[in-house]
Amino acid sequence: MNPIYLFFHKTGSPPWFYNFSGKLIPWLWAGFFLLTGYGLYLGLLVAPADYQQGESVRIMYVHVPAAWMSMMIYGLMAIWGFIALVWRIRIMEVLIISSAPIGAAFTIIALVTGSLWGRPTWGTYWVWDARLTSELVLLFLYFGVIALYNSYDEPRKAARAASLMSIVGAVNLPIIHFSVVWWNTLHQGSSIGTSGSSIHPSMLWPLLYMAIAFKLYYGANLLSRARVRLLKQDHRKRWVKDLLSKETS
Amino acid sequence: MSHTPFILASYLISAAVLLWAALSPVINKRGLLKQLKLRQARMEKTQ
Repeated sequence: MNPIYLFFHKTGSPPWFYNFSGKLIPWLWAGFFLLTGYGLYLGLLVAPADYQQGESVRIMYVHVPAAWMSMMIYGLMAIWGFIALVWRIRIMEVLIISSAPIGAAFTIIALVTGSLWGRPTWGTYWVWDARLTSELVLLFLYFGVIALYNSYDEPRKAARAASLMSIVGAVNLPIIHFSVVWWNTLHQGSSIGTSGSSIHPSMLWPLLYMAIAFKLYYGANLLSRARVRLLKQDHRKRWVKDLLSKETS
Repeated sequence: MSHTPFILASYLISAAVLLWAALSPVINKRGLLKQLKLRQARMEKTQ
């Protein structure tokens, strides 16, 4: 069998996923701490202040990567939701519901830091413009997925409902992304796109380091949550019993 | 207007949210393992 197919085939097995993710998590945390340390050093101490916004631009190094993560995580949840509904792969269901609280956390960070950045630059903490409102809707979608999942007793049924909601809610992602193009908003347009970036490298690099660091954080946190959820769902199965006996001996 | 309080608040709140999100699965796992081990010990006793 092709090694890539074999890897995905193995990922579907809970004991294999549990062991493999356990080995991966420490490396992801190590990468996160290293990149965050370097990114914050560059962003807070080396990068210059903005000629218009002054020092407040330093909020960008946490706000922008958090906002990117909030959208990326929901996009992944929608893709996994589709896979879970079509192929009924249980690991995908676990990944969706494990992702939702992390996505909500990044959305809260994006909203709060955006609000704190808005006060010195726009003169207000909040305006009901398209970008801010659609990001707030994203937070409610995350809460909705979590609440819907927890409203069922049977995990597979709960996951199917959460998958469906993840897919339907994904309609909000292009609205968030294009809100600054489609409507007149206080929020600035994209500075980084497929055709390049309008940000000076001294500010771009710390931003990219922080963006990668947040992805590693997501990976480590997601796998940690998925492992706990698998243990909970499979607590009557042989592999969990073996694992517990190994830990107690 | 000094921007320092806004920058500090942004980073502190972000750190607090990320810390909470990172610690909650660790706390949950500890509680779950304790519960499962107790259950297993009880079952072994009855057999």
